[in-house]
Amino acid sequence: MYWVSVFTEAGIFAILALGLDVIWGWGGDFDLAFYGYLALGSYLTFVLTIGRPTPPVQYILGWHLPVLAAIVVAMVVVVGLAAVIGAIALRNLRDIYFAVTTLGAVSALYLIVENYTPLFDGYNGVYGLINPGQSALNLTYNGYRIVFLVIVLALLFLAYLLVQRLSRSPFGRMLRAVREDERAAAAYGRKVFWAKYRAYLFGAALAGLTGGLFAIFISAFNPSAWTPQELLVIYAAILVGGRGNPRGVILGVFVVYIGFIELTRFLPSPASRPDFGPAMRQILIGLMIILMLRFRPEGLFRERPGLDRAPRSARRRLSGSIGALATASAGSTDATPTSAPAATAAPPAPPAPAGSAADEGGPG
Amino acid sequence: MNTFLVSIGLGLSTAAILSLSAVAFTLEYAVSRIANFAHGEFLTIGAYAAYSGQTIFHQNVAAAAAIAAAAGAAAGLALNAGLIQQFRGRSAITVFIATLGAAIIVENVLVIIYGAANVTYGFSQGTLHHVGPFLWSTSDIEVIISALAVAGLIYLLLQRTRFGKAVRAISQDRALAQVSGIPARRIIMQTWALAGAVAGFAGFVLADTVGTFGPTLGFSFLLLTITATVAGGIGRPYATFGGALIVGLVIQIAGAYTSSAYQLVFAFLLLVLLMLFRPNGVFVRRSAVAVRA
Repeated sequence: MYWVSVFTEAGIFAILALGLDVIWGWGGDFDLAFYGYLALGSYLTFVLTIGRPTPPVQYILGWHLPVLAAIVVAMVVVVGLAAVIGAIALRNLRDIYFAVTTLGAVSALYLIVENYTPLFDGYNGVYGLINPGQSALNLTYNGYRIVFLVIVLALLFLAYLLVQRLSRSPFGRMLRAVREDERAAAAYGRKVFWAKYRAYLFGAALAGLTGGLFAIFISAFNPSAWTPQELLVIYAAILVGGRGNPRGVILGVFVVYIGFIELTRFLPSPASRPDFGPAMRQILIGLMIILMLRFRPEGLFRERPGLDRAPRSARRRLSGSIGALATASAGSTDATPTSAPAATAAPPAPPAPAGSAADEGGPG
Repeated sequence: MNTFLVSIGLGLSTAAILSLSAVAFTLEYAVSRIANFAHGEFLTIGAYAAYSGQTIFHQNVAAAAAIAAAAGAAAGLALNAGLIQQFRGRSAITVFIATLGAAIIVENVLVIIYGAANVTYGFSQGTLHHVGPFLWSTSDIEVIISALAVAGLIYLLLQRTRFGKAVRAISQDRALAQVSGIPARRIIMQTWALAGAVAGFAGFVLADTVGTFGPTLGFSFLLLTITATVAGGIGRPYATFGGALIVGLVIQIAGAYTSSAYQLVFAFLLLVLLMLFRPNGVFVRRSAVAVRA
């Protein structure tokens, strides 16, 4: 039964990672709000299915919806939240600014959920067994766990097929084009914001779904379940597997979750120091992120070129020159923030005009 | 009215701590062109170093502050040499993610050394004073004075010394600075040490002000720091003090009228508004421009 639960968890996180990979792997947007979508999906699945709260406990709604309907409603609400955050964060902001804005948004959500108890009972969180169909199928608890694993794996397979198909579709290729060079993609008539925005909403929908599955799986959810560290594990898994490659991402999640987390359970954890094991695991996750980024940023499985027509060698030369352009223009953008539109218009901006604001002296 | 004035007083002392942290963050950005997500960890390291030091130096505040600054400087040097320089030439977001990894490592190393539970300094907060319309404790006043002193020192350092001139040159254009004979590598190293020292000191001050702290002290302060930095305009050390003032006042005043638990929510709302309308800082007279760091 232990391995059933390990595989179920890995399967759920693999679906989550597929969603995140559409945003980060293809879209190139480092989203730190993503785990918040899983959390919201999870909370909503609970309050929509477990019924009225008993007095000391309090949360909103408290309906008795069928689980499937509840998950769909949860996904819709999650996508709605992502639509707001994405509209703010994706419009003009990129890279670090995008990451920081999404981190701000999810932190605000976290604080509100934690402190405003009428919402999801604050720090205590919500809990309840929602095992859809257990009594109808007349299953024991353990039997149900196995059925649930099969459902999760089936959903994972469906999500994989969907993402794989999307990956080769014009939409997937457009997203990658936008990631590689927004200006070029815009020049070819691609609507940069819409491409990224749709990818963002798609990813959030998958996060909402995993939130629902997670609710069924762990039958309790509170703020300690969605601390920022949780998301880093997913990013680490994507990095290991291969950013942008759905098959690699799934493999990465299973490698990181099963091979790594399960192995590190056997780290020495003295009884006097109960926090030693988890802390050690976090340290290894951090190390893994840094080492992958430094030495093998493409992961175990390289992103597949899809239907790009140019041969590999040409693509490499091309991406090299794009990289050079990007650094050149980034340099001038950084030096004088106000000259950003100019740099956008003329990519290979020489460093000279950047120095024109000499009196500014860097520090303002 | 009284609530309002008291919260302004609190806002000023919050702004003082925030300005220390934010000016260090912006200095790191100015020379290395990266947003350091492990910046909060400099504060945590400073706070814990002072915690370890206070037992040796018997509650001497000045010694504890010096230890915090030294530990922060060491952390700054280590991060720059061990991580930032290893990622030279990589995209800003890649380095950002790497520093995120570093942050998680440092935080958990501290958990292993000191435990996850909160610890407390033994320093006395002093008595409460009425200063004009404000109500401050002795340590609040010390915080504000030391922040002003550090601000003055950084100003002199950047404006009046060869080192400062070199830092400004590098922040404008590293390649150009290098061909003009500025030892960019060394200057950047020194800047990271300086930023680390200021951040370590800020961590000590922050920990002393909030009273009790744990390994997530710096991380939870990071978003406030970033908000203040963005409010001032990232990479602009002097404007950062203005940004810190805005953020400090906003969260304390808004917190006073709602609940202090929601202080950070207001900070994040402020951050989002800034990102939407003034991503280059409130002191830049320009409408929002696309930011592609």
